[in-house]
Amino acid sequence: MADPVSIDALTAELAEQAYLADRGLATVLALSLALSKPVLLEGEAGVGKTEAAKALALVTGGRLIRLQCYEGIDVAHALYDWNHARQLLYIRTLEASAALDPGRTLHDLFGREFLERRPLLEAIEHTDPVPPVLLIDEIDRADDEFEAFLLELLSDFQVTIPEIGTVRAASRPRVVLTSNRTRDLHDALKRRCLYHWIGHPDTEREIAIVRARVPGVPERLAVQAAAFVASLRELDLAKVPGVAETIDWIQALVALGESELDAGVVDSTLGSVLKHHEDIELVRDGHLSRLVAQAREG
Amino acid sequence: MPAPGDAVLERMVGFGRVLREAGLEVGPGRLQDALRGLEVVGLAHREDVFHALRCTLVARHDDLDAFDAAFAAYWERAGRTPAPEIGLEVPRFEPDSAPAPSAAEGEGGGDDGGEELTLLLAASPDERLRRRDFADMTAAELGRLRRLMERLPKAVPMRRSRRLRAARAGDALDARRTLRRAMRTDGLPFDPAYRSRKRVPRKLVFLCDVSGSMEPYARAMVMFLQAVIASGRHVEAFAFGTRITRLTPHLRKLDPARALAATGGLMPDWGGGTRIGESLRHYNDTWGRRGLTRGATVVVVSDGWERGDLRELDTELGRIARQAHRLIWVNPLKGRDGFAPLAGGMRIALRHSDEFVEGHNLVALEALADVISR
Repeated sequence: MADPVSIDALTAELAEQAYLADRGLATVLALSLALSKPVLLEGEAGVGKTEAAKALALVTGGRLIRLQCYEGIDVAHALYDWNHARQLLYIRTLEASAALDPGRTLHDLFGREFLERRPLLEAIEHTDPVPPVLLIDEIDRADDEFEAFLLELLSDFQVTIPEIGTVRAASRPRVVLTSNRTRDLHDALKRRCLYHWIGHPDTEREIAIVRARVPGVPERLAVQAAAFVASLRELDLAKVPGVAETIDWIQALVALGESELDAGVVDSTLGSVLKHHEDIELVRDGHLSRLVAQAREG
Repeated sequence: MPAPGDAVLERMVGFGRVLREAGLEVGPGRLQDALRGLEVVGLAHREDVFHALRCTLVARHDDLDAFDAAFAAYWERAGRTPAPEIGLEVPRFEPDSAPAPSAAEGEGGGDDGGEELTLLLAASPDERLRRRDFADMTAAELGRLRRLMERLPKAVPMRRSRRLRAARAGDALDARRTLRRAMRTDGLPFDPAYRSRKRVPRKLVFLCDVSGSMEPYARAMVMFLQAVIASGRHVEAFAFGTRITRLTPHLRKLDPARALAATGGLMPDWGGGTRIGESLRHYNDTWGRRGLTRGATVVVVSDGWERGDLRELDTELGRIARQAHRLIWVNPLKGRDGFAPLAGGMRIALRHSDEFVEGHNLVALEALADVISR
């Protein structure tokens, strides 16, 4: 049952989709494909957890189905709901045309055409030739009850809708869960998953990522900006910039037509990298010209 | 499916044992995943083996370091023992605290025989104990304290969830149920159903000073935290002296003596100096940054004697106060006679805190539980 998946081949295919995974991440993704197990990716914001799922979808050729979690998310938001407005409208129409037959109507009302599919049902009911990639994003924001529900779903990939019956996945979707680790997830849920922690990339990899993500970025700018962000991460910041911020920033610099860093440009675009007032103050007041000089020297 | 060689299987079972000793939860299911993972990646490259085992055998970030060390020691014979020995001497309770009281035990029953006389003369010994300053308690009294702690009112702050639940009268019409009921009345919604916001526990974060000046209170606080943590998954507890240490998993241990032993082993600064600002910064940079503080009720237990930089305390406490729903400061010394919040750190604490309460005896902790639940 374990199809061998070449880690090198997967790394190369991900790179074609402009996602540069290190050996550890590539291994986990390869294993999840081979073993049909969900992957739990943890890491700070902006290190590319969500992007990993998107890239995996592109590589496998499956559709990406995304469920964004939030506090208080429930089955009606995640799995299915009935389209009440349509149901009411349907009753009224039948009434007007005097075609109301209570028994039949009730049956029709809870038929599939009144069912609103949410991401989880979408992923289970899929008829795609290639299984979709189900991204359950920021699971740590959802509450315990929802986690328990997910656990059940992830173990047998089937749900029962009282009015319709049991829906079972024809082929299991690939599942990627992400978490910012604001709280510990249930051990039972973790036990179902392969686990990987994504850290900030080293400078070399970050330059490569920037090149892949921002085509046509001047070489010197990519190198200097990556070095600058790396040195920012050494500082004592409230929110350390992730790769996402580096990419945003370089896109801003490219849009402004810059080909290398200088203190003035950095000062005026710092808001793309640092998102806290205190952090921007800290860098402006104490470190900016020194860090820019360092980044330029390489 | 080619079966893994017996040699590999045997080595893996041994590795599982090493990991369990290092504190990881490695059951047969995980080992099986790991073996299947090895089949996929092969045994040719060390790095692939490493990552395959790591993602199948580790389930939490905190265990990554322990895994790396164990992997190096076991597979590469680096000559290190993977399980770090926790050898710190930790204060223990007197033996009379050891047997856990049964849940059915009646109020005031089962006390020491020696207390009977005072029972006749004064209020119940429990009552006296409730008002006794933790710092003046003997080890035996601390042991009895644990039983009283179990009867503390629940300290659970609540918030309104986005989630709705059925209610007689509520904030929003429940279209689903209204329609269902309408079917009984020929499609006419005579009997509307409502939903209202559900109340769910709010995140609760404890930051406890366990440095020298707080030491007499630290043990009682550990017991208090245990009682609170037992109430649900929404609670996180940290201890600090010169740096911050997460206590939550250790406090879940049922036996307080063992919980205390574990926390003592974690805390090199148990009884050392206080650098509150620096510790809070460490908390903000790790747990706070990931969003634990946001919307939480944060309780800081400290006397405010800052030996570090007062400005840092100001900044970091400010960060917490801005993100937290409520900041409660507990100072056990507040209950002592002649206390005035003059310590520099305490003035800053007062500026940022929403509530300022005492915590020197059980009555004060009961009040604290109320304040938290409010």
